Amino acid sequence: MTAPTDTPPHGSGRDPEHDAAHGPAQGPTRNPARDAIPPAPTPPDPAAPDPAAPDTKALAAGARGNRLAAFAGAREGVLAITLVVVLVGITLGSHGDFWSHVNINNLLVRIAITAIPAIGMTLVILTGGIDVSIGSMLGLVAAVGGLLFQAGWSVWAVAPVFVLLGAGFGLVNAAIILGGRVPPVVATLGTLSIFRMAVFLVLGSNWITMIPPELTTLFITSRLWVLPVATVVALVLMILFALFLRGFRTGRHIYAIGNNAEAARLAGIKVRRLELYTYVLLGAFTGIAALLTLGQSPLVQNSTGTGFELGVIAAVVLGGTELSGGKGTILGTALGTIIVELIKDGVVLMHIQPFWGGVLLGGIILVSIGANRRFPGKAAGTKGAGG
Amino acid sequence: MATFELSGIVRNFGGVRALKGVDIAVDAGESLVLLGENGAGKSTLIKILTGALAPDAGEIRIDGVAQDFRSPLDAQNAGISAVYQEPMIYPHLSVLENLFMGREITGAFGRVDRAAMRRTARPILAELELDETILDRPMAALSLGYQQLVLIAQTLAQNARLIIFDEPTSILSRAETERLFTIIDRLRAGGRAIVYITHRLEEVPRVGDRVTVLTDGAVTGGYGKGGFSETTLLELMAGKNSREIEAEITAHRTPAGDPATPPVMEIAGLSHPAHFEDVNLRLPPGMITGIYGLVGSGRSEVALTIFGELTRSAGTIRLEGQEIAPADPAEAIALGIGYLPEDRKLQGIFASKPLEANMTSNGLARFRGGWGLLDFPALAAEARRIMGQYNIKAQSARTLISTLSGGNQQKGLFARWAGQPFKVLILDEPTRGIDVRTKDEIHDFIRDLATGGVAVVVISSDLKEVLSVSDRIVVMRAGRVVDEVSGTAMTPERVLSAAIGAGQTGESAA
Repeated sequence: MTAPTDTPPHGSGRDPEHDAAHGPAQGPTRNPARDAIPPAPTPPDPAAPDPAAPDTKALAAGARGNRLAAFAGAREGVLAITLVVVLVGITLGSHGDFWSHVNINNLLVRIAITAIPAIGMTLVILTGGIDVSIGSMLGLVAAVGGLLFQAGWSVWAVAPVFVLLGAGFGLVNAAIILGGRVPPVVATLGTLSIFRMAVFLVLGSNWITMIPPELTTLFITSRLWVLPVATVVALVLMILFALFLRGFRTGRHIYAIGNNAEAARLAGIKVRRLELYTYVLLGAFTGIAALLTLGQSPLVQNSTGTGFELGVIAAVVLGGTELSGGKGTILGTALGTIIVELIKDGVVLMHIQPFWGGVLLGGIILVSIGANRRFPGKAAGTKGAGG
Repeated sequence: MATFELSGIVRNFGGVRALKGVDIAVDAGESLVLLGENGAGKSTLIKILTGALAPDAGEIRIDGVAQDFRSPLDAQNAGISAVYQEPMIYPHLSVLENLFMGREITGAFGRVDRAAMRRTARPILAELELDETILDRPMAALSLGYQQLVLIAQTLAQNARLIIFDEPTSILSRAETERLFTIIDRLRAGGRAIVYITHRLEEVPRVGDRVTVLTDGAVTGGYGKGGFSETTLLELMAGKNSREIEAEITAHRTPAGDPATPPVMEIAGLSHPAHFEDVNLRLPPGMITGIYGLVGSGRSEVALTIFGELTRSAGTIRLEGQEIAPADPAEAIALGIGYLPEDRKLQGIFASKPLEANMTSNGLARFRGGWGLLDFPALAAEARRIMGQYNIKAQSARTLISTLSGGNQQKGLFARWAGQPFKVLILDEPTRGIDVRTKDEIHDFIRDLATGGVAVVVISSDLKEVLSVSDRIVVMRAGRVVDEVSGTAMTPERVLSAAIGAGQTGESAA
């Protein structure tokens, strides 16, 4: 594309004559990086578009307010379309069972249970970290909280304990990762096993079923407008964190860390402190998810929360957040969560063998990572001219 | 009194004195070119000036007031910012955010005020003749040249009064380079002080009001505009005692292997799409071929291609007349080609292993005992023998290699490769960062190897080393062999001027 509008921001960025004359011989000096082909060496071909030339199409679209086209082209647009396709598929595949009252209610609550930790997971992954321990963490918080319920504590007394316990376990992960300088995957794989062992120690071989029914009434069956309270909580948190990440200094610093931690440190950003906060936040949100899980099904057993991390990570990655950090949005995570839960629901409704659900989640993660590589998209968290 | 002054700056790394009391000064509205060879101390000096390193002695003064920088942020707040060789960017974030990261303009509760940042950025962009639409583009979508402009804009957003450019043109095309020079002129006219680091002689008269030459960590010359010639600068860069070096070289030099004997290895037209083009080399047995060139000239890449680590796009490699195409280092080693890599820490030592394992790791096949197990007593004896032969100082062969001095580590690595029956041995920076005595020892070992009939290649950024150890020197610049000298033609001036492309001022000014 060499339309006249495709010129660089000022004048000619490249002198074709010079480059044609010196291009081939100069190639090697242009990037001193070793052992690698330099990233996108500028082609000496004068007909090639200058990469710095503004994307006139996108700018024009923004100027005309043609947001719909921009949205459809962005990651979130692709997800929204996927969502509709999955929805139609499940409706047909389940012969309408999908739209039953009971199923929709359950689905909304399950979306909330995945969405809340997915916010925390998005922040963690944005900094370039990850936490694969949250399934066991959820089980452990539920086990300890369950014991307190058994001892007769009220919902109001136990609820903060859930959040604080989760935050505490998040702090444990952060301490190992940041204090011990252990790679996040390795550290949280370790705590995944350790937290699970702790669940066994807390529960023995018992189940806890003495969960106060008020918990269910309060969060699951009560509604605000048409949505279960749990779903409203998730929605509010999503909106708050979307605004935080997009428009506030600390939120932008989280992106900066994932983009270039060294540059962020040199710019005076407290990199390690912010990373610690993201793990603690994810822990606290996993605590909330544990509370809602007990509200939805009042039972704690040794396997509670097993595999939970897979759904959350799948939702975040499907939502377009880069595992290497620095790129992703809460809106993407929200859409990713809905799709993941829809698929899990569809597996049940269509009487597919349950372990295919796991295969699907694993497949989603792999396909999303591939898609993130292939369609890199726009600047992170700031779409279009609005910034 | 100049606006920015550094006086008596000293910095040591281990036992090596990187800066030996350097004084430089630059005024507002003035540009100073820092010229020096690889390892002259330019980068260290810049790190000190930008607060990334603390000096061991000496003082930085701004407007006569002594400064104590504890971080780059301190230096930025004092008005000193740098544009580095490799852009430090946030690739997924917009240009606007790249400009202001860490110093955002915020409203209530830390809300980022993008409109205000945009207003602040506007005059800066105008100064650099950049269009405002660039602000919304992700940094990763820009070419390296534009990324560099954004980083210059970043220094302006930081209200920098002194802007340091660290070899900024190494990643730029000719047109981009010319644009950069225009911008530097404008910045200087606007009252900012500029420090411009380069090893490209031809850029000096274009950019600098003054030039300061740094050689071996000391200032060896300073000139005002028009007060210098290329020859004087070249002599200074090469070191003022180049006569002494020559004397030393002739003293060491042994008669080279006979060039008429058939070469062990012959390379013709070797090319790599990104690193070098049309390289021809003949490596006769018993001869030491030096390859000299600046960082990025493609010297190591040629070696890595011969060694099967990089893939060539054209050309042939013949070993004893047979054409070979090693697909990986293991195959190259099996063919009889050895390569001592340049980065001791990353590519060389097994840091968590003892000296013995490090020295013998290449020759384990020779120490097979019963049932295919290693013959440990024989290995231990071999390790003791090597330590004696190469005078390696360590408590025992069981000492962890990472606890030894750089010189002893390097001798251990040298032994790893030199102890094997290679036909061709390539030594990449065999003495980087080690003391002079060990350097001389290793040079003697290299000569012994050649005497034993091995075709040796020594790649080095150290001019003195290349001159004193080689029988013949191949000079590379920008991915090409630009000169080949042997015998009395091997003078520091000739080799250095070929490497930096001196005498081509006219071409670049055109």
